[in-house]
Amino acid sequence: MILVILEHDGQRLRKAALEAISRARQLSSLGPIAGVVIGENTQAVAQEAARYLPAVYAAEVGPYTPEKWAEAAHAAVQKSGARVVVASGGRQARTWTARLAYKMKAGLLEDTLQTSTDGQHIIGTRYSFLNRVTERQQAPLPVVFTAKPNTTPLAEPEGSGAVEALEVSLPGGVEVLERLSEQKKGVSLTEATVVVTGGRGLGSPEAFAGVEELAGALGAAVGATRAVVDAGWRPYGEQVGQTGKTVQPNVYIALAVSGAVQHQAGMNKSKYIVAVNKDAEAPIFKIADYGIVGDVHQVLPALIEAAKKLKD
Amino acid sequence: MKFIAVIRQVPDGESRLKIEGGKVDLSGVTMILDQMDEWAVEEVIRLQEKHGGESVVVALGPERFEEAIRTALAMGIDRAIHLVAEGYTDPITQAELLAETLRAEAPTLVFTGGQQADWDSQALGAAIAEALGWPVVSWTTQIELEGETHAKARHDLDEGAEVVRVALPAVFTSQQGLNEPRYPTLPGIMKAKRKELKKVPVSASSKVTVLEQTIQERTRLNKLIDGKDPVAAAHELVKLLHEEAKVI
Ligand SMILES: Cc1cc2nc3c(=O)[nH]c(=O)nc-3n(C[C@H](O)[C@H](O)[C@H](O)COP(=O)(O)OP(=O)(O)OC[C@H]3O[C@@H](n4cnc5c(N)ncnc54)[C@H](O)[C@@H]3O)c2cc1C
Ligand SMILES: Nc1ncnc2c1ncn2[C@@H]1O[C@H](COP(=O)(O)O)[C@@H](O)[C@H]1O
Repeated sequence: MILVILEHDGQRLRKAALEAISRARQLSSLGPIAGVVIGENTQAVAQEAARYLPAVYAAEVGPYTPEKWAEAAHAAVQKSGARVVVASGGRQARTWTARLAYKMKAGLLEDTLQTSTDGQHIIGTRYSFLNRVTERQQAPLPVVFTAKPNTTPLAEPEGSGAVEALEVSLPGGVEVLERLSEQKKGVSLTEATVVVTGGRGLGSPEAFAGVEELAGALGAAVGATRAVVDAGWRPYGEQVGQTGKTVQPNVYIALAVSGAVQHQAGMNKSKYIVAVNKDAEAPIFKIADYGIVGDVHQVLPALIEAAKKLKD
Repeated sequence: MKFIAVIRQVPDGESRLKIEGGKVDLSGVTMILDQMDEWAVEEVIRLQEKHGGESVVVALGPERFEEAIRTALAMGIDRAIHLVAEGYTDPITQAELLAETLRAEAPTLVFTGGQQADWDSQALGAAIAEALGWPVVSWTTQIELEGETHAKARHDLDEGAEVVRVALPAVFTSQQGLNEPRYPTLPGIMKAKRKELKKVPVSASSKVTVLEQTIQERTRLNKLIDGKDPVAAAHELVKLLHEEAKVI
C-alpha cells in the first residue's frame, strides 16, 4: 500500500498534490494507493481527491503544526498499512516528514526529482551539495519521500473513491499566535518560465522599478538576492537561493548579481542563464549562457526598450 | 539553563567539488562549520549571555569534524561532545544516535541548522525532536524565552511566516535573519584549546545508501557581449534569447 499526503489550500488540492499522486502511480507495482487530506475543511477537499484515488482519509486537525501533520499522517499509515509515503516537498513537508519517518522507522528520501522501485527499495534522484551534485539514493521499505515541486506531470482523475474521516489524537506543545502572510503580486516565482532577478549592484530600491518593468514586458517573475532582501529593498518572498526559493525557469536573468554559491543554489538548474554585470570576472558569468558586461543603469533601460519592441 | 547547538562540518561552498569513483571526493576541499549551524551556535551563545547557564555543542560525524567543533568553542561555546562516526548515515539514523546524548544532557532547548550544505537535508532538527518527543520550530528567524517553560518564536513557512509559542524543551532550526554570527577572536581560539571536548565513538547502519553522485553541470554557452554600446548590446541579447534560445 502507498499513501499520498495531499497538499491543499483549504478549498482545493494544490498542483503539488497532483504531482504526488503521479509519483505514487509510478510505484503501483507496490500495491494500491490511498490518500490523506490533513488540516481544515478536509471533507470537501477529500471529495475532490476521491476523483483520483480509491480511498481518501480526511484528518480534521486544524491549523498546521509539524507535530499534528506527522501524527495525522502516521494514523493514516497505520490505518492503511502503507509502506511507502509520498509527500510534496515544501519547507513544511520537509519538517513533518522527518518526524513521520522517525515514527515509522523508515528511510527518508528528501526532495526527489524522480523515484522508482525494485520491489524492495525506493530509489530516488536528488540534488545535494547546494544543488551542485546529482545523487541517486536508495532505502529499503518502509520509505517516506518528498517530491520536489514542478518535477512530475499532474495526475488526471481516475475512477471514484471513498472518503473516510480519520481520528487523530492531537499533540500539543505549539500554539500559533500569529500568521504573517506574504503579499503576492505578479507571476509566481517558483512557477514562472522567465525570472528577472535584481542584485545589490542596482544600488537602490528605486532601481527595481526597471526590474519590474522588464519582468512585466517578458511575463516574468521578479527575484532578489539576499543582499537586496537584507537591505530591505525587496520582500523575502522574492529571494532566490539556499535560504530562499529554488527556481528552474526556461531563462533566468540576473541583473547586477555577483552569483555567490548560496545564490546559485537556488537558480543553477535554470535552462538558460543571462547576466548583466559591470565586472567581467563576476562568478555569475561562469554559469551564464548569455551576458552583457556593462553598467546595469545603462543596459536595463535598453533591455526594457528591446523587450517591449519584441512584443509589438 | 542549558542551550545546545547540534553542528556539522561541510565543504566550503566556494571550493570546487570533484567526483572519484562515482562519489564526491572531499580530499583537498576546505571544510567549514556549516553556515546555517553557525547561526545556531551564535543563537545559543546569545541565549546563554542573556539568561545564564551553559552552552554546549554536540556533533555527530568523522574525526575531521573536530575543526568545526573548535570553531564553535572559539566563538564562545563552553564545551563539546563529539560522537565520532565515519561514513554516511542518514539524518533519521543520526537523530536516533544524537537523541541519547541530548536526552542525557537535558537541555532547555536544542538549535541546529535549517538545511545542511552538503546533503541539502532539512530533516535533522525535526527528526531529533521526534526522537526526543519534543516540538520542533523550523526556519526560525527570532526567538525569545518566556521563563524556563516556553519560548516565543517567529519562523518561515512555505509561504509567509508565523509566530508560535512553544513548550520547552524544544528543537529549533535556523534561518537567515536569526542573527549575525560573531567571528572567533584570537583569545577565543586560544581558550577553545583548553575547553572540554568529549569524544564518544558510535556506529550505526544507515537506512539510506548513496548509490552514485555526479556533477551534471549544464554546459553553458558563455556568450558575452560588450556593453559599451548598451542599446546595441541589449538589442543583440534580446535577439539571441528570442531567435537562438527561443525562451522569450
Ligand atoms: C548560509 C547563507 C545562506 C545564504 N543564502 C542566500 C540566498 O538564499 N540567496 C542569496 O542571494 N544569497 C544568499 N546568501 C548570501 C550570498 O553569499 C551573497 O552575499 C549574496 O547573494 C550577494 O548578493 P548580490 O549578488 O546582490 O550582491 P553582491 O555580491 O554585492 O554583488 C553585486 C554585483 O553587482 C555588480 N554591480 C555593481 N554595480 C553595478 C552596475 N552599476 N552595473 C552592473 N553591475 C554592477 C557587482 O560587480 C557585483 O557582482 C547566503 C549566505 C549565507 C552565508
Ligand atoms: N579544546 C579542544 N578542542 C578541540 N579538540 C580538543 C580540545 N582538547 C582536546 N581535544 C582533542 O581531544 C582529543 C583528546 O585530547 P587530549 O586528551 O587533551 O589530548 C584529541 O583528539 C584532541 O585533539
